[in-house]
Amino acid sequence: MATRKARTAFAIKRFKKLVKEISQSKRGTLGVTIIAFFVLLAIFAPVIAPYDPINPWKDPGQYPAYDSPPGPKLAEKLCVPSWYEYIPWVHKGSIELKESFISYVVVIDGQKFPNVTNLYLTQRIAKAQKIEAFFPNGSSRELVPVEEWMHNPADLRRVTLDWQTAENLPDSTRVEVTYLTGTDITKTMEVVTDYKFSSSETFYSKWQNKTSHPELFNIKHNSQEGFESGGCIEITYSGSEYNASASEVNTTVFVPFGYAHWAPPKSFATHFSARIETTTKTNVTVTLWLRDEALGKSFLLSTYPITSKGTYFHYKAVSTGNETKGNIGEYPERIIFPRPANMSFALSVNFPNKENDVTVYIDNVQCILYGNSFGLLGTDNGSPFPPRDIFSTLVYGTRVSLVVGILSALFSTVIGLFLGLISGYVGGTVDETVMRFADLLLVLPTLPLFIVLIAVMKSTYGLVSMWNIIILLTFFGWMGFSRTVRSMVLSIRERPFIEAAKAAGGGKFYIITKHMIPNVFPLVYVTLATSVPGAIVTEASLSWLGLGDPSIPSWGKVLYDFNVSGIAVTKGLIEYWFWIFPPCLAIAILATAFILLGFALDEILNPRLRQRR
Amino acid sequence: MGLRGYLARRVVYSIILILAVITVNFLIFSMLPGDPMAQFVAGMRGHIDEERYAQLRKHFGLDRPLHERYLSTLGNMLIFNFGNDIISGEPVFDAMRTPMLNTILLMGSAEIISITLGILIGVIAAYKRGGILDTTLVTSSLVTYSVPIFFVGWIVILVFAVQLHWFPSGLTSPPGWVRNPPVNVLEYIVGRLRYIVLPAFTLFLFTVGGWILFTRACILETINEDYVLTARAKGLKERTVLYKHVLKNASLPIITNVALAAAFLISGAIITETLFSYNGMGLLTWHAIYPTPNLPILQAVFYLTALLVIIANFIADLLYGVIDPRVRYG
Repeated sequence: MATRKARTAFAIKRFKKLVKEISQSKRGTLGVTIIAFFVLLAIFAPVIAPYDPINPWKDPGQYPAYDSPPGPKLAEKLCVPSWYEYIPWVHKGSIELKESFISYVVVIDGQKFPNVTNLYLTQRIAKAQKIEAFFPNGSSRELVPVEEWMHNPADLRRVTLDWQTAENLPDSTRVEVTYLTGTDITKTMEVVTDYKFSSSETFYSKWQNKTSHPELFNIKHNSQEGFESGGCIEITYSGSEYNASASEVNTTVFVPFGYAHWAPPKSFATHFSARIETTTKTNVTVTLWLRDEALGKSFLLSTYPITSKGTYFHYKAVSTGNETKGNIGEYPERIIFPRPANMSFALSVNFPNKENDVTVYIDNVQCILYGNSFGLLGTDNGSPFPPRDIFSTLVYGTRVSLVVGILSALFSTVIGLFLGLISGYVGGTVDETVMRFADLLLVLPTLPLFIVLIAVMKSTYGLVSMWNIIILLTFFGWMGFSRTVRSMVLSIRERPFIEAAKAAGGGKFYIITKHMIPNVFPLVYVTLATSVPGAIVTEASLSWLGLGDPSIPSWGKVLYDFNVSGIAVTKGLIEYWFWIFPPCLAIAILATAFILLGFALDEILNPRLRQRR
Repeated sequence: MGLRGYLARRVVYSIILILAVITVNFLIFSMLPGDPMAQFVAGMRGHIDEERYAQLRKHFGLDRPLHERYLSTLGNMLIFNFGNDIISGEPVFDAMRTPMLNTILLMGSAEIISITLGILIGVIAAYKRGGILDTTLVTSSLVTYSVPIFFVGWIVILVFAVQLHWFPSGLTSPPGWVRNPPVNVLEYIVGRLRYIVLPAFTLFLFTVGGWILFTRACILETINEDYVLTARAKGLKERTVLYKHVLKNASLPIITNVALAAAFLISGAIITETLFSYNGMGLLTWHAIYPTPNLPILQAVFYLTALLVIIANFIADLLYGVIDPRVRYG
């Protein structure tokens, strides 16, 4: 009788031999390497994935105005990978264009209608160069548009000329418009770096202010106060010293920043929290602005009156908001950011009650410009959730695929082994029952059945969890292996050493555990490895059909999101390749890795396949 | 016991299996938590008046006790009476006729090509075992075998439909045919073929790897046998040895699998047909589940598939004896 120590040593030795043999097989090594890579990815997913794929929001809790969902979204939808900016053939920057229009004047009932009052250009205007009129007699003159033409709210491609000028142009005058248009890979930018105002140095170096009555204001950083007491801007207005001369009392705190792209951001979002302290009944009005320093033009985003005192109120303005759109135009982000420029983000406080003392605390001031690129693999279309980082989803998806694949393979192999041993060794009615049951499960079409069962679960319980899928895969995955085990047991049962064991008084349990299992065990490894891919692919297929667990990020679900987004039809597969090909490849590579390992194990452990050397 | 006894036993087994399948079919649709049948009818409540609701309940037999419903399901299944399609109202068999023909056309052509090529390549791979050809074939089969079929489908669509414009990317027949059907047979055949090529090619790519690996494994089981050595020693041509001696002896499991593949053919390929919007049994099944449950169709699909698989198994068992005289029944 071998001691426990000796047996352990033997097991270790056998395992070492197996590892050595796998490492000698190229396919086995490749398979093990890939699996190890994915396992590491799954274990360290929270470290590797830069964002949380389940809650794709920026700093939940720090932007209280975005009460639901918590915080502004992480990125715009349908972003391209951010490394697109390094691709040489993707155009970044401005293009100078010249377009000509021939003028004429139509006279109806004595009234003149010139055709060149509104000039529609073919591209978005990022920067105006000049408008020149070339008269039929050969001379030329520069024309001045009615308003800052690149900021025409109605249409970003329109230039408006003064009616009088247009009317007086002789017929067949050529009006030539020179302008810049641009394309760029824009990045998500947070204008305010220290929006919690935790450091006074950052505040004094970044923020500037402008006041109507410098002697009445004291603007400073307060490190004690603030929403959640992390520091804030403190504006003290001494209204009692006011001497009724100026019409309006206000102060503006602003942070200058540079906008670096030749394309507008996809959208922007602003936020602030404010509290007022006063002894009398006083209210203030806070307005949010974005200012183009080169043009000297300010864009009012939103106005907020603050009437009640004592507690913090939270405010936001987004480019898709109706107030901002009403103030600026249909696409505020395109109007404000047409080209690279020195900008500033400003928060202006107005004091209508000029004679009262007020202290205003302002915190969590932020302006986020959402670019059209994000992360390693872009973002999805964000429906119904906010847009998610595809790369993070992929990394977390490894967990689902590995857990579903390995667990259902493990469970079904164990069940298959157990039932195969029992029905093979015990025989008789047990054998018949188990095998007929296996036959019954084998004749049913698996995938349609899964779909029906999961659809039923979904309509009954409202959702399908990953465990339902594992249970289904287990329940319909044991039959093949139990048949193999049974046939092996049937042949082993007749061998002399079993007879010897019986003669020595070994019971059924003893013979099964000590003699049968060790003999069929090599097959367990092979079956384990080869049944994982089936489970992984089936899980992915179910998720692809929209029958997966909606609350966890899985590879199949990414593909389902792509399917329902309709991007394949509207934009084609190529443009958003980074959305579907990485998850498809991941499924394929992981499944192939397990198959390769299983195949290598089969060649090592199956004596009939062992090559004669 | 002999052949007759064996046959009788197999027939009895098959009948028991068929009854079991009907029972499972009944259980899935009537007794699972949430009972799809009852849920479907319950979902109608409020949309239709009470009289019609009661009529529907009666139509699906939901007003009768469970054992009566079971017996009536059993009887209906045995005489292939699946009732009416819930949505169109026509008998299930009529609703299934076109999709079934389409699927048999699609899957049949894909399977035939894939089985033929798979077996041929598998034999070659096994023969050249260990060489570069074998390694390449096996590795690429392993890859295509494990890649999800929608990935294969997407790539096929991308290359042959989007980039090269050789074939349409979906549907069963040209959309214009609804108004002006084709006049001559040639036009009809060409039109249909153009729409079958891509899904069939996808299915072929997806399945051929499995056949190559399976044939190779079966051949390797027999290629080291003594009679193969004898055949070679006799001076037989290598090809004769391979196809007459080795393949014939290794073909039993292959035949079972071919029979099973043929039987599962009618349940269609859900994912491929959904991807290509091909009006076959797979798409029919998918649309019978989503978005509106169409239970008579599902019941019919499950039952017919199971029935065909049972019959195919039965035939494969009988064929064993024809191909391999060593097989003794009993």
